[in-house]
Amino acid sequence: MKRIIGGLLLLLLSHLALGQVERGNILIRGGTVLTVTNGTLEGTDILVKDGKITQIGKNLTIQAGIKVIEADGMYVMPGIIDAHSHIGIDALNEATNPVTAEVFTGDALNPFQIGLYRALGGGVTTIHAMHGSANAIGGQCETIKLRYGVKDPEALRMAGAPRTIKFALGENPTRIHGSWNSIVPRTRMGVEFVIREALSKGKEYNEEWGVYNKLKNQKGFRGKAPEYSARLETLGDILNGNIIIHCHSYRADEIYMLLKVCQDFGIKKLVFQHVNEGFKVAPELANFGAMASVFADRWAYKFEVYYSTAYNAAILTKNGVTTSINSDDPELMRHLYHEAAKAEKYGALSDDEALALITLNPAKQLGIESRVGSIEVGKEADIAIFNGHPLSSYAIPMITIVDGIIRFDRDKDPDDVRIYVDPNQELDVSFKESGYDNVDNCMKDALQSFADFFETN
Amino acid sequence: MKNACINYVLKTVVFVLLGIFPGSLPAQIERTLNPVSGTYAITHVNIVQAPGRRVDRGTVVIKNGLIVAVGNDLKIPQDAIEVKADSMFLYAGFIDGLSHAGVMKAKDSPSKERIKDPGNPPADRAGIMPQNDVRDFLNIGEKSIESFRALGFTTAHVVPYGGMLPGSSAIISTGGKSADGMVMLPQYALYSELAIADRVYPSTVIGVMAKWRELYKQASLAKSYESIYASNRSGLVRPAEDRILAAFYPVIDKRMPVLFKAEKVLDLHRVLALQSELGFPLILGEVKEGWDVITKIKSSGAKVFLSLDLPEERKLETGSEKQKEENNKTAEDIEKTALQKRRSDFIALYEGQAYSFQSAGIPFGFSTLSAKPADIVSNIRRMIKAGLTDDQALAALTVVPAKILGLSDRLGTVDDGKIANLVISDKAYFNKDAKVRYVFVEGVLYEIEHRQDDGTREVRKSE
Amino acid sequence: MAKRIQSTIIIITVLLCAFVFALEAQNPKGKYGTFVLKNGTVQTVTRGVIQNGSVVIVNGKITAVGTNLSIPAEAEEIDCTGQWIFPGMIDSGTRLGLTEVRSDSRTTDFNEIGDIIPQMKALTAINPNSVLIPVTRINGVTTVLAAPEGDLIPGTAALINLYGYTPDQMFGGFEGLVLNFPKAGREGLADRRSEEDVKKAYDKAIARLNEVWDMAVQYHLLDSATKSKGVKYYPEMQAMMAVLRGERSVMVEANAAKDIQAALQWISARKVKKVILTGVSEGWRVAAEIKKAGIPVIVGPVLSLPDREYDRYDRAYSNPGLLKKAGVKVALRTKHAENVRNLPYHAAFAAAYGLGKEEALRSVTIVPAEIFGVADRLGSIEVGKNATLFVCDGDPFETRTAINLVFIDGWNVPMVSRQTQLYEEFLNREPGLSKK
Repeated sequence: MKRIIGGLLLLLLSHLALGQVERGNILIRGGTVLTVTNGTLEGTDILVKDGKITQIGKNLTIQAGIKVIEADGMYVMPGIIDAHSHIGIDALNEATNPVTAEVFTGDALNPFQIGLYRALGGGVTTIHAMHGSANAIGGQCETIKLRYGVKDPEALRMAGAPRTIKFALGENPTRIHGSWNSIVPRTRMGVEFVIREALSKGKEYNEEWGVYNKLKNQKGFRGKAPEYSARLETLGDILNGNIIIHCHSYRADEIYMLLKVCQDFGIKKLVFQHVNEGFKVAPELANFGAMASVFADRWAYKFEVYYSTAYNAAILTKNGVTTSINSDDPELMRHLYHEAAKAEKYGALSDDEALALITLNPAKQLGIESRVGSIEVGKEADIAIFNGHPLSSYAIPMITIVDGIIRFDRDKDPDDVRIYVDPNQELDVSFKESGYDNVDNCMKDALQSFADFFETN
Repeated sequence: MKNACINYVLKTVVFVLLGIFPGSLPAQIERTLNPVSGTYAITHVNIVQAPGRRVDRGTVVIKNGLIVAVGNDLKIPQDAIEVKADSMFLYAGFIDGLSHAGVMKAKDSPSKERIKDPGNPPADRAGIMPQNDVRDFLNIGEKSIESFRALGFTTAHVVPYGGMLPGSSAIISTGGKSADGMVMLPQYALYSELAIADRVYPSTVIGVMAKWRELYKQASLAKSYESIYASNRSGLVRPAEDRILAAFYPVIDKRMPVLFKAEKVLDLHRVLALQSELGFPLILGEVKEGWDVITKIKSSGAKVFLSLDLPEERKLETGSEKQKEENNKTAEDIEKTALQKRRSDFIALYEGQAYSFQSAGIPFGFSTLSAKPADIVSNIRRMIKAGLTDDQALAALTVVPAKILGLSDRLGTVDDGKIANLVISDKAYFNKDAKVRYVFVEGVLYEIEHRQDDGTREVRKSE
Repeated sequence: MAKRIQSTIIIITVLLCAFVFALEAQNPKGKYGTFVLKNGTVQTVTRGVIQNGSVVIVNGKITAVGTNLSIPAEAEEIDCTGQWIFPGMIDSGTRLGLTEVRSDSRTTDFNEIGDIIPQMKALTAINPNSVLIPVTRINGVTTVLAAPEGDLIPGTAALINLYGYTPDQMFGGFEGLVLNFPKAGREGLADRRSEEDVKKAYDKAIARLNEVWDMAVQYHLLDSATKSKGVKYYPEMQAMMAVLRGERSVMVEANAAKDIQAALQWISARKVKKVILTGVSEGWRVAAEIKKAGIPVIVGPVLSLPDREYDRYDRAYSNPGLLKKAGVKVALRTKHAENVRNLPYHAAFAAAYGLGKEEALRSVTIVPAEIFGVADRLGSIEVGKNATLFVCDGDPFETRTAINLVFIDGWNVPMVSRQTQLYEEFLNREPGLSKK
């Protein structure tokens, strides 16, 4: 165990040495600042030093040499946070087992994916790069910043962001494991059982190691350590409150089920993802303190989302549930500001409420709200600048800043932004994928591997 | 002794087809006749003893598989067979840092049948067979041995086929009387790839990473319990026998390195992350995209074998048939030109990888896991064109890998006392017209005969 | 701020309406008859904007547009002060009506078996009672092209208006043959065929297309020569004949630049009479050639990713504008089903990224009406056209704009969908946390 901790320390040190994050100094002058937490400030400057917001006010004076962005007539908002995404990683579904708590998308970071740049072009600065939804308990997820241009995957990590893990209920786990492999779960009853069983084992694991760790320090102790399991250790960490659950879910009954399971196991950090029928159990979600990350208006792509409504975000918000709007899709994530605006149409949320859906609220859901999600002194300088109000359909993100570094500038957008080029790729290959048919991005890998399976068998 | 003698004493003749059929090698012709002597004198040859250390028109004497003398004006032993190598060039045999040469795929390759519980597959389906030993898969008759030997490779660090943990490697000579006879050092490194299993756990790279850590930690715990148990067995539960975990013990003790295949830039980062977390000694093999990871590799202390595979060379389409005026170009032309330029700039990075490691002061050898034998020499020449000197290239084939693998006392230079692994080419090896004429592997002579594209045998003039 | 108050008022109005409906009946019905929409700002699309204008609707048709109109005595007056009146929006390519729950093949009817099945008619399979339809029309999208998908010739698409209880009540007066022009490249990242296999499949598909076309020509000649007496029942050829004779448009789907070029060549070589290009995601690469061919295009979805890794990030957004700039006639489509309601936002993105607001509006109203040959009925607010229009409180391309009334073929459509019903039921759920 000591060795492992030593290893982790070493890891941390090596990150500091190698995955160093670039931080910038910048002044954004005279924009309309949508702070999210402190209303709208007209003609206001934002001063960024060493990647953090150090001053907000009118006519700020600066030292010579600091880069200035003239934002007169522009709208300046906190960088958009997508609480549900699958870009920036090379693998996302270890779909071979109903419980795979030990796997971690942070092991498969890919800083070269063009999607990271395209998302910056939509004002996004932080994303939750999630495991897929094939398993009742999927893998751990990584919160990354869109520092497109870095070549070391370590430099994508938002160091210090809390650990998170993907759970999944309903059709996906029951289809993959039950219907295809004849392994529990085939039903929503089975999903509950699989989760309860896993958490119970995690609890026992914690207890066994607790006993061992106490004994092993006693003089002359010569016992055997319990068997090490990365899976059970992770489940134990959930029970210890060290990992936030982000649960793929749609139907009201399954959402309610997990609330009860978490209550029984004393788990408090719980965010539901998609949660299309969250509006039906909004009082229960609010009462538990669970949060919800939803689509603005996606529905009917499968049976469990047939009884959905675009008013979901508004109903949840008005019932006191901390709600965000996510993308789960590399295209949709480019216009989350537009998705948030739909909550004004469907349920009449205010501008600040709508903006919070894609900034402060997802930050809360990822446990990073003290660092990002609003424009406040002391926060990290992740900022999106638009040529119009971001809740207008016509608004265009012009400049996107991460840690005070300009990572996207529409006026200087080059033609070919690839960092690595496949030397064997033909030049005019068109990779037109129908966005329409690939909505279930959560099921990537899983569907592919099973499609291959049926092809070869 | 006339040149004709040589033919008489040849143990093996290897024909190498050059040109348009790089993949197809002719059958080996076995002759049962043994050489009349184990002593050879290679005369009038330009000896490159080591990079930058040269003896012109000298003699190398070898006896019983070892080099016994190197220099000018040597007395040729009476029992020696003379190999006249006038104006030829002689080098220490090359060392391949990661290869499947001579290795068969497992006879009972894992069944492709659907596994009932894909989350808990048999270890072979999962690709977790670290207890395997490449010696069990060596076959002296494998064609790959001949083709690499014909290029001058006399030593290879070979690994078994498999998934994420295929087994332990061995350092072999590319010739010998038996499979075991080829082996210089068995169980040299624990071989690993970030390879996923086929529709069973671990089916993704995140699964492989998690499983790797878990096995390592389980092995660490099992090992420490074994030592507690060994100190006093009374009152303790017998440790479970587990060959998979036991295979990690020498790695945990840092007695054995992990040899990781890491072709792509992200493979490198992932492997280095595992290494920095777990702290095992590491050799990176078959590195193709390392230029952006140099600092990290350097600080990790990992040893490096760069791939001798390169992306295909692409000629820029100059558009000679439509030598358009600059302002006459369509948007499509401009885009195409830009894309071609990006691609060729990128290919240049692959070609320049060795030079950038050299410039950064990271010692490296070469590996051939995915390289086609027919491309290897021209690929080295592309690397030389990209900045590497001939001596540096030679070092990466000889002294440096010998040092990396801890074999400097036996291999890597042409000095007396070293194993008689030699390669002799008619011109300086990296000259584009050079042909390998003789290869000695542990004192056994192989004459390399070349055939033209039309299959006729090239007749060498004897003096 | 004013807007905020205004939309709050609208919400209250909507809620009150819903309350009234709830009293009236569980499922509100549409109303037909004589209406006058008074004192609104009329966006006619074809004849400019009329301030303080009115629109008179009698028996499904627009009978008067303008100021100081004489109002029929029986007309139901609807005050549109502060409101805008727009022609209904047309989505030029969807699956609406042909699918209900996408992942469930039992509810999916746009993809029949067979590579050449021109006789398959989308109109037949339209489900007028789809839950998706009210969700769409209350957002101002009143008319859509429902198109079959699949192999080379997957069938015949139909223009439908989103109100009615039978396909015939909904039919919008246009049918077009869908032709998926063979793709010379790969189908996407998951397509792992070898270069050679891709080429083979392409050559085969082109040969197949030429074969069917040649047969259709033969059939058409035989049919003409014998006055239809010398031909046997051959539904594929009969369906193709309408295209050959120029009685029906063929909608050629092509996206990659290479494929668009090949399609244009093929169309010209085969002298195809009525053609519409669809998809056209790389149209910007070959816009001049499309313009030269004089063929109109239906582009979309606008909200999509660029086709190639090295393309500029906004190519899909800017494509309609770039095509328009080259002089091509551009209509938009979502190629969606459940979210055809987002058509105005596809238009907004196209507008912002180069098409401009005015052209964007035309691309979802009068341009598709012209392309489909129904501009005498749809696409603008003009006397004599169908009363297919909506009333809203602002720019319909903006999300915060509320759409308050929708008329389709003169029917005043209830502003209710299952999504609004769920909102009303669950905003303040009863019982709440406790059942008592």
